[in-house]
Amino acid sequence: MILDPILDLFRGKAITIPPLDGAFSANAALDEADVHAMLPAPDNLVWHDGHLTCSSGAAVLWVAGAKSHKVAQFPAEITAMAVSPKGHLAVATDDGHLTEGGIPVPLPGDITCVTALAYGVDGALWLANGSAHHPASGWVVDLMGKGASGSVWRRAPGGGFAREVGGLAWPNGLLPDASGVTISESWRHRLIRCEGGRVTPVLSHLPGYPARLSPAPDGAWLTLFAPRNRLIEFVLQDTHYRRDMMAEVPRDFWIAPALTSGQSFLEPLQCGGIRTMGIHKAWSPSRSYGLVVRLNKEFAPMASLHSRANGRRHGVTSAIEVDGRVYIAAKGGGVILTVAGGR
Amino acid sequence: MQPIVRMERITKDYRGVPAVRAVDFDLRAGEIHALLGENGAGKSTLTKMLAGAVQPSGGRILLEGAEVSFATPNAALEAGVAMVFQETSLVPSMTVAQNLYLGSEKFLNRLRGTYISAQQFLQSLNFAVDPLAMVETLGAAKRQMVEIARAVHHNARVIIFDEPTASLTPEEKRHFFALLQRLKARGVAIVFISHALEEALQIADRITILRDGERVAQGPTADFDRDKIIAAMVGRTLSNALYTQRDASTLRKAGRKILSVQDISQGRMVRNTSFSVFQGQITGVFGLIGSGRTETFKIVAGVTKRDFLRGGIVELDDRPVRYLTPAAAVADGIVYVTEDRKTEGFFDTMSVAENLFGGLLAAPRHKSMLVRMSEMRSLAADWSARLNIRAINDNARVVELSGGNQQKVVIGKGLVQKPRLVIFDEPTRGVDVAAIAEIHKIINDLADAGLAVVVISSYLPEVLNLSDRILVCRQGRIVEELSPVEASEEKIMYAAVH
Repeated sequence: MILDPILDLFRGKAITIPPLDGAFSANAALDEADVHAMLPAPDNLVWHDGHLTCSSGAAVLWVAGAKSHKVAQFPAEITAMAVSPKGHLAVATDDGHLTEGGIPVPLPGDITCVTALAYGVDGALWLANGSAHHPASGWVVDLMGKGASGSVWRRAPGGGFAREVGGLAWPNGLLPDASGVTISESWRHRLIRCEGGRVTPVLSHLPGYPARLSPAPDGAWLTLFAPRNRLIEFVLQDTHYRRDMMAEVPRDFWIAPALTSGQSFLEPLQCGGIRTMGIHKAWSPSRSYGLVVRLNKEFAPMASLHSRANGRRHGVTSAIEVDGRVYIAAKGGGVILTVAGGR
Repeated sequence: MQPIVRMERITKDYRGVPAVRAVDFDLRAGEIHALLGENGAGKSTLTKMLAGAVQPSGGRILLEGAEVSFATPNAALEAGVAMVFQETSLVPSMTVAQNLYLGSEKFLNRLRGTYISAQQFLQSLNFAVDPLAMVETLGAAKRQMVEIARAVHHNARVIIFDEPTASLTPEEKRHFFALLQRLKARGVAIVFISHALEEALQIADRITILRDGERVAQGPTADFDRDKIIAAMVGRTLSNALYTQRDASTLRKAGRKILSVQDISQGRMVRNTSFSVFQGQITGVFGLIGSGRTETFKIVAGVTKRDFLRGGIVELDDRPVRYLTPAAAVADGIVYVTEDRKTEGFFDTMSVAENLFGGLLAAPRHKSMLVRMSEMRSLAADWSARLNIRAINDNARVVELSGGNQQKVVIGKGLVQKPRLVIFDEPTRGVDVAAIAEIHKIINDLADAGLAVVVISSYLPEVLNLSDRILVCRQGRIVEELSPVEASEEKIMYAAVH
C-alpha cells in the first residue's frame, strides 16, 4: 500500500527471528555424528603440522581420536588460534596477549579481546577484536550491554596492525581471501564483507549468533554458537529489566544465550515449556543449541547440522574441513565431532 | 427386534433425477447405524426425509410401526427424530444458550437461569463451549458441538448425525464417541453418517452402504472391513496408496523460497509465528482446531489482517507485503482455497461455469470490462474436464453437486487465477474417498508443476501422505517442522498438543 512507509513509523519495529527451515531445516545430525574426542570445552580448531589442533581452556592439544597430546599451556584461556602459511601457530588469550610461533606479538592498546585470527593467502594476519570494553570471556556481558565496539585489524606481512573496520557488534569469525575478508558479526546475526575499508552485508538475518568461519572446498563452514529466541530478544528490548538482571542475577542464570543449558534448576527456561510427560521437546525454546552451516561460494546457506534443544552437543564454536572430513568443536557439549564433508 | 424406524422403498427425485431410489432402511433402538457412501450417494437425502427436511417422492416411513409423514423438521423433532445437519442450523446472532433452548422457551424466561442450565448441560456433555458466546463468533467445531447438544437436549429417540466428526479434533472425537455410547445405552437410535470409514468400523453396530441412491450393502459391522466398504461404496477397488507413509525418494526437493513469514501476530490467535514456503513442494500444516493455522494463512492471503502494531513481516519473493484485500494477494499469485466452502467457497445458486468464471473475474489480471459467454463456457469446459467436475447437466447449480464436486469447483475457482502459491485449507473435508483421491492428484500435480502448495489439514494420514514437509501448529505458532519420512501420527500429535 502506498501509505505503508508512513504507517510503518507507527507500527513499531518487529524484531523477527527467522525460522529454521530451508537450508536451516532442523535435524539431529550433530547428535548422530561420530565423536572424535571428548575434551573439556574444546574451542578453536586448526590443522597444524599434520595434526588436528584444538584449544581447550588454556591448553593447546593435538587431538587424534581418543588420544590427545598437550603441546602448549598458556597463563589464560585461549580465545583464538590460526596457522600461518609458514606453519606458525598464532594463539590469542583472554588476558589480551598474542603469540606467534611461541613468540609474543605486541598489540596496539585498542586490542584487548581477540575473538578470531586468520591468515590471508598473502601472509597477512587478520584479527577480530570483539569488544573495546570486555574480554572475550565476557561476551555475554557485551551482548546484554548491546555492545558494538568491536573491530577488525590487519597486519600486513612485515608491517604493523591497522584497523580495517570498527563499530562492529562482536566480530567473531574471519575468512580472508585475495581481496578482503568476510566477518561474522555475532550480535547483528550476519556476515559482512570488508573490502578496501568498505563493508557490505553478505548474509543477514541468521537464526543464531554466528561464530567462526572456515574454508571448505565449495564454500565455507559457519558455526553458530547459540540460538536466538523470543524471550532473549524481548529482554534485549527491555533496558530496565536487563540492567536489573545484570546487576542482581548471577551471570550463569541470565536470560541470555549460553553455550550449554539445562545444568541447573536455577536456569530461566524450564518447566512445561521445555519438557512434557518426561520428554524434552526438541522444539522448545532453548538458551543453547548446536548449529553448523555449510555455505556456498556466495555465502548462501546450503545445508546445516543441528543439535536441537533436546540434544547435548551445543555451543559449536569452530568447524574445519580436512581431507573430506569435517571436525566440529562443540564447546558447550565438551566434544569434538566428525562428519563426512559435504554432508 | 422391532425396529424403531423403518423406511420402505423410499424414493426422492430432484427435477426428475433420482437422488434416492427405492431404499429400504431400518433402525433399531439402542443401536448406532453407520450410513456410508460417496458424496452424492443419497445419504443426506435419505436421512433428511426421515428428519422432515425433505419430502419423499415415494415409499413410506414407519416410526414404531405407525406410518408417519413429517412436513417440517420441527414436526419430526416433536415425534422424537432429530438431525444434526452438516451445515449447522443455528441462529448466528443468538448466544449458544439461546440456541440450545430455541423452540422450547417458556412464556417468561430468566436469562441467568437459561445460561446456568446451558452451562451445566454443556459440561455434562464435556463440551467446552461458552453458553454466553454468540454463535457467529464460534468456529465450525464448536458450532457442531452446540448442534449436537441441541439434539441431545430435545431428548430425541432417533438422532441423525451427518458428518459429525469432520470438524472435531481427535480429543473432541473421543468425547463425542463416549457421548454416542451414553446415548446408545439410554436406548437412543443413532444414524451416523461419516466419510471416515475407520470411525464407522469403530463405533457402529450395523452399516448400510448407499451407491448412486441405492442400497448396495447392509449388515453387522463385523461383516465389513475397510476394503469391503470402499468396494461397495465406489463399485471398484481403490488403491490403498491413498494414505501410505512416504519414503525419502518420493519427497520433492525445496525450490526457491517464495514466502517468508516472520513473527506475524493477530490478537490471541496467531502469536509470533514464523515459517517459509518453497516452490515445487507441498508444505503440510497440521494443528488442532483453534491452533491458529487457518488464521495464519488467511493473513498471508489477505483475507484478514495481522496486528497493526508489531504484527510481523510477510515477504513474498523477498519483498515485504501487507495485503488489505484478498484481491491484492490474488494479484500477487496467492490463492486461498477455503475450508468452509459452503459459506466462503462458492455462489451456491450459480452454475459451475459462472462460479469458475467468477474466479477469473476476481483476478486483477482479467482486464476485460465485458463478460463473453463463449469465454465463460470454454473456461468452464476446460476446467471441468481438468478437474473432472461431474454435474447433472451444464447448467447445474453448485448447490446441487456432491461435496467432492463442490470442492473441485472451489479449487477450480482458485486455479483459474493462475496462482504461484495455493493454500488449501481442509481440501478433503466432507469429501468421499474417490473424490479425495482425485483432489490429492490435483494437489500433487500442482506441486509437480512447480507451484508452491500449502495443505492445511486436521486429518493426519492426509498430512503424512501429501506433504513434502510438515509444519505443526500449536497455540498460534508453528512449533515444529517434520519430514514425512520420520514423522508419525504420534510424533505430530505430541508436537500439536505439547
